Amino acid sequence: MPRFDHEDLRDIPAAAMMLLPSLVFLALFTYWPILRSVWFSFHDVMLGSPEIFFLGLENYARLLADSLFWKSFGNTALYTLLTIPLSIICALLLAVGLDTRLRGMAFYRSAFFYPVMIPSVAAGMVWVFLYAPGYGPINGLMAALGLPRLEWLYDRSWAMPAIILMSIWKYAGYFMLILLAALQLVPRDLYEAARLDGVSATRQLLHITIPLISPTLYFVIIIGVLHSYQIFDYVYVMTQGGPADATNVLTFYIYQNAFQFQDIGYASAVANALLLFIIALIAILAATLGRRVHYLGN
Amino acid sequence: MRHMLCKYWQHFVLLPVALLWLSPVLWIGVTSLKTKSEVFDSAAGWLPDIAQWSNYPAALSVAPFGRYLINSVLVTGSIIAAQLVTITLAAYAFARLRFPGKNLLFGLFLVQIMFPIYAIFLTNFVTIRELGLMNSLWALIVPFVASGYGTFMLHQAFRQVPSELADAARLDGCGHLSTLWHVYLPLVKPTLVAFAIISVVTHWNDYMWPLLVTNSEEVRTLPIGLGLLAKADSGADWTRLMAATIVVVSPLLLFFVIFQRRFVDSFMHAGIK
Repeated sequence: MPRFDHEDLRDIPAAAMMLLPSLVFLALFTYWPILRSVWFSFHDVMLGSPEIFFLGLENYARLLADSLFWKSFGNTALYTLLTIPLSIICALLLAVGLDTRLRGMAFYRSAFFYPVMIPSVAAGMVWVFLYAPGYGPINGLMAALGLPRLEWLYDRSWAMPAIILMSIWKYAGYFMLILLAALQLVPRDLYEAARLDGVSATRQLLHITIPLISPTLYFVIIIGVLHSYQIFDYVYVMTQGGPADATNVLTFYIYQNAFQFQDIGYASAVANALLLFIIALIAILAATLGRRVHYLGN
Repeated sequence: MRHMLCKYWQHFVLLPVALLWLSPVLWIGVTSLKTKSEVFDSAAGWLPDIAQWSNYPAALSVAPFGRYLINSVLVTGSIIAAQLVTITLAAYAFARLRFPGKNLLFGLFLVQIMFPIYAIFLTNFVTIRELGLMNSLWALIVPFVASGYGTFMLHQAFRQVPSELADAARLDGCGHLSTLWHVYLPLVKPTLVAFAIISVVTHWNDYMWPLLVTNSEEVRTLPIGLGLLAKADSGADWTRLMAATIVVVSPLLLFFVIFQRRFVDSFMHAGIK
């Protein structure tokens, strides 16, 4: 039985008034949709139709047997698990390179950061152009270097890597900036001491820099997970899930089921699978990295 | 020579990478000034023969970009204005008031960070339809009025404010709201600016949600207009499309160039605090 002293209760009216505006909107546009999505997934709900039938677990049985669901699930996992580490490694190297008194710092920072400011639709569209098989500059460059021309977004095995490459360009600058802020707090004399002891630059990075900025790295990984949702925009603009569903991801599959097939019930079941995937990913990160970070941080 | 190499090695590595990073935007700029045939002609070289400035008026005349711009300003402006009110009040309650169930409620606010609109667009779409807000600017604003992330950022900042200051204000007879206004807000301005910048960048560039809930010119925003133009042209007229892209991306990029320090500080700040 919790006990509240007088002090604890006096603030309740003020707190309620101050939290109410946020809570109303959170309830309407965050909690209610999540609960409702669970409810929908047990029913047959068609977009624009008032009739709803109880289906029990039927949508989920369908989900487990749906090879396209598993494919888009695999694509989502592949995208998330490749894009985040690759763009963070890229960002870390850039941040280490910029972590000195360097002339032209503002130029470099802007050069790497500006893609963050570009709307996803514009970025996706421009990269469609860059990847164009016939006249695109990337193939032009590859031909000039004597490399084989690729079909990129039209090739089943290259379409996803192409989107991942673009995502690294889009987000590495953001992660770099956050990491740079953390690097600047690392005491310089640690590096001095390491240099005097003859420790190589690679070992300095692995044994001094990374442990000391691990809380920020952890934060950046979480931010990366949340940004990976945006793949919907790129898939929508660049490939529409193709070729042959090679870039179909869960968010796009939800969209297809809901707005092309009008099947809200089934789309909700897919949406819940996505929510579970994100919860599991963050729980795993918190249980593994989160603990280590704390340990190293102290 | 050796000395030079030692002194400038970073530039030898960083400059090519920076140019690689800049190449897409340079390519947009260059293409926006080409003729249609130069785009598809691989023998034409990287630069246009004569800069075709007329691509710009041509791009702007195919769609009502003025309308899109006004809508983008209205939507982004309303979201940030509403967010600043909701997050300030909520963050103050979490940072300075005592009430039962505080940790649980704070956790509920953080749920929103994990499940952004991309994860729950489907049922939100149904809600917006039921509220009769489809195809209105309201549909683009209301889902974003509360912000778990903003509340979290501001909560951290409020906790840094010495409680003696607040106690002094209380003794002078200030209520919660005037303490918040006169004592807390002036002290957390950098955090407010940081959150505002991040939020504006996010919502100015939003694509998926406006795509789902709008279907007429009157309520479309800049990114949606650009996407429609891309669909209509479908690779046929890259020059016009790239000119439109420059127009759409330049407001934020221009702000970024002018207020570089502020922007950089904001995004860095958001990371540590």
